[in-house]
Amino acid sequence: MESAGHQPVLIIVLLLISAFIAPLLYRRWRFLSGAVVLAALTGSFITALLLLSKSGASSSLSYHLGNWPPPWGIELIIDPLRVYMLLVVTGVSLWIFIYALGDLKHELHNDVIGWYYSLYAVLVASMSAITLTNDLFNLFVLMEICAITACAIITIKDQRECLEAGFKYLIMSAMGTGCFLLGVAMIYMVTGYLNYSFIQSELSLALTDYPLNIFTAAALFIVAFGTKAALFPLHVWLPDAHAAAPSPSSAMLSGLVIKIYAFALFMIFYRVFPRSLLDTIPLNEIILWLGAMGVMFGSIYAMLQTDLKKMLAYSSISQIAFIFMGIGLDQPLALTGGLYHIMVHAFTKSTLFMSAGAIIYSTGVRRISDLGGIGKVLPLPLFAFTIGSASMIGLPGTGGLISKWYLALGTLETGRILFLLVILASSLLNAIYYMPIVINAFMSGEEFKEKVKIVPLSMQVTLAAGMILVVISGIFSRQVIIFFEQALTSLY
Amino acid sequence: MDKATVIIMMVVIVTLPIIMTPVLMYVCRFSDRLRNGLAVLTAATTFILTLMLYPFIRDGGVIQQSIFEILPDLEISIHLDILSFSLAALSSFVWLLCAIYSIDYMAKEHACSRYYPVLIFTLGACQGIFFAGDLFSLFVFFELMSIIAYILIIHEQTEEALKAGYKYLVMTIIGGLALFFGVIIIFEIGGTVSLGVGVIVSESSMLGLVAFICFLIGFGMKAGMFPLHVWLPDAHPVAPSPASALLSGIMLKTGAYGLFRVFFHVFSVDLLRSSGWNVILAVLAVITILLGSAVALTQSDIKRRLAYSSISQLGYILLGLSILNFNAITGATFHIFSHAFMKSTLFLAAGAIIWKTGIRNVNEMKGLGRLMPVTMGCFSLAALAMIGIPPLNGFLSKWTLALGALDAGLPGYVLVLLISSLLNALYYLPIIIPAFFEHPEGEENSHEGDDEKHEVQFKIKEATPLMLSAIAILALCTIIFGLTPNNIVFSLSRLTAQYLLGGGSF
Repeated sequence: MESAGHQPVLIIVLLLISAFIAPLLYRRWRFLSGAVVLAALTGSFITALLLLSKSGASSSLSYHLGNWPPPWGIELIIDPLRVYMLLVVTGVSLWIFIYALGDLKHELHNDVIGWYYSLYAVLVASMSAITLTNDLFNLFVLMEICAITACAIITIKDQRECLEAGFKYLIMSAMGTGCFLLGVAMIYMVTGYLNYSFIQSELSLALTDYPLNIFTAAALFIVAFGTKAALFPLHVWLPDAHAAAPSPSSAMLSGLVIKIYAFALFMIFYRVFPRSLLDTIPLNEIILWLGAMGVMFGSIYAMLQTDLKKMLAYSSISQIAFIFMGIGLDQPLALTGGLYHIMVHAFTKSTLFMSAGAIIYSTGVRRISDLGGIGKVLPLPLFAFTIGSASMIGLPGTGGLISKWYLALGTLETGRILFLLVILASSLLNAIYYMPIVINAFMSGEEFKEKVKIVPLSMQVTLAAGMILVVISGIFSRQVIIFFEQALTSLY
Repeated sequence: MDKATVIIMMVVIVTLPIIMTPVLMYVCRFSDRLRNGLAVLTAATTFILTLMLYPFIRDGGVIQQSIFEILPDLEISIHLDILSFSLAALSSFVWLLCAIYSIDYMAKEHACSRYYPVLIFTLGACQGIFFAGDLFSLFVFFELMSIIAYILIIHEQTEEALKAGYKYLVMTIIGGLALFFGVIIIFEIGGTVSLGVGVIVSESSMLGLVAFICFLIGFGMKAGMFPLHVWLPDAHPVAPSPASALLSGIMLKTGAYGLFRVFFHVFSVDLLRSSGWNVILAVLAVITILLGSAVALTQSDIKRRLAYSSISQLGYILLGLSILNFNAITGATFHIFSHAFMKSTLFLAAGAIIWKTGIRNVNEMKGLGRLMPVTMGCFSLAALAMIGIPPLNGFLSKWTLALGALDAGLPGYVLVLLISSLLNALYYLPIIIPAFFEHPEGEENSHEGDDEKHEVQFKIKEATPLMLSAIAILALCTIIFGLTPNNIVFSLSRLTAQYLLGGGSF
């Protein structure tokens, strides 16, 4: 592997530095504080783009932190899939941050906004690092950072339910990381390594000698990442946390944070576990069934909600389960669908949460039944909501169709039509709970009575960008899919 | 005409209406007349451009061209053959007349700035369906048209309309998912979904049957096939009349068109015959015909009656398709045309009646023929065609369908056609006979005194000339394309049947 320069770590360092500066600047020059974080996010996004051009679709680069070679030092790896995830993380968080600049003034006390910027930068830094790291213990540390900052951007809003939801999230997530640490210890016991690549080659030998240790570790990992990513029976913390948080945080949490754990699990399955382990015990099968149940139950719960953001949060549970189904089917086409869905859902759900945020910002209405006729007074947010809903249902021209297409092809390729039916049924359920909102907003004869504040420009721009992203991901997807095809060949 | 020109023209035909949609929305702010004019102009241009493809089609030209690759091995492509040409020409023609009709009809309505752009957009999507070169593009345009048509259906925004619209939307989504399922299975079996490769599936398999049933659900839902017709009688009557005419006259046919493509380009005809899958469609079609006609009898709202009649008429097309021989396919194709002319006339005439008098109940239409002679005359002409009176076009399609059924040795189907014709007569004649030969209610007393004068008393209260011209042109088509020499539509249908059964050549 050739050297990657210092770009991989630059992303993380940039964000961390801005995280330290932002609250300091906020005391004197409020405007500058946001600008610094914005610049750092832009910088990291550009760096990620540079990394993409460097690594291309097939080669991979390695970066040794502090020049300590693996297995002792921390290694960051730049391979196609990680670069893809890195681009999604930095790009989407940049986009949400622009929205946050407009929205936060309304949702938070003025004196904590600087802290929010700081937390946001740390959160993005930890997520970028999670995608790049090639070291299990490093992953554990980053997961803790990610969990704590994610919790903090929920509880920063000074409300009773935010604190309650944040606490619930903290407990569940601490349990998850605890399980993960235990699993890492077990793996370390057996192999003596923490580096992904070293473990992978060692585990296939150790599998015959210490099967129980390894099985236990695998089970712990599933529980750990299942909790963190809100996989079906472990999802209970998500709806409260995502619904109570300030809207930019909701967009961030639903759009990126839960996906980062799904991606980490994917990495563990294919970069840490040897193929022989996946063939011995039905890990994928477990994930597949949990995913299928999550898809159904998430949608069904979402139908029962009366609060707009709660509904979106439950919908996230069903959508994250799609990504897990992609991993569960263990097949290149399905994985393509799952990985593509990471991006599509990041675009879609962020757009939806942003438009919900815009609705709450300008009218204060949260109840779904109170949204009649709101399309006439807030056309842009509701139009964005419509496009987002279309993508959730999987209508042609939106990204949702593409990921469903590949997931469905994967189910057919493995001959499991049952799961194809689950995918289709969930589309129908999505239609049943998203469409009435859209129809009610635009078509009902009611007049919207509440007072309406004008949505700030930064929010309008990001909402428009969201619509465009959702549509682009549905039309110009060919290059990305070819990129996946090449990248996934290394797994099989 | 060389191939490149044709391809460019096809792309223009599909994109022009879609591009004009935002233009229309923008123009609405300045002038209503400009908007109406532009809408008609767009429809007219589309129609003329479509007609200009005729020389190419006459020479037996077929085009399959990829436009844009959306995923590896999956593209948006266009396909032109005689079947797509026929339907595209038909739909743009009816669209043009409905757009002309709308100018006066919609003048009193609210939200025209939404109606016209949607009307024109659905035209583009509909042409897209007919020109789609693979199942995926077909699916995309099909969904696009179906979902946007929702706005036409709920135009009145009454509670009834919203309810019917919601039903429509849910059924559309279910149909769309079934189609998605079908397309993806075909892609899995054949590795392609292009219509240009001849036949994709030629061996019987379980998965193939599942795909076939999915297509039946997806397209049959649109075509109002039993038992998926439930949305239709609610949705068509609540729409504004020109939209109902398009929904019944053209948009239903897109479902039938999809099934044509599935029958001839996806599965091989031999496979369908040997495995007997076409019998599934035949059974459903027979039920659809009889059920539609029977229920139409019980409806007293004129537009609901017409909607149920559409269900039964679409049954004819599906029946013809399921018989799978030359005469039956000719009849089915020809009936697509016939029904488009007849049902559009009926809906537009019914619309004119409602617009002028507010009468929707068929029992109150006594004496209307004296009030609105042209409208009622056209209505009667189309109704007679529906019943199948020679020399009108409805007769010719039933005749050909019956011939096809006899060729296949299935006289039972002829009986079904006859029963349905009888039922048609039973529910159309009670509208038209009282309209001409009875006095309007409440007027009889006032005229008792002067019997002599009464004979010639025609108090004409007609719809506007624009509306009448649209109705009259459509009604004329039922005669022109009936039992006449040089019936160009009929010869097109014959060529289409020959093309489809001959596996791609005339």
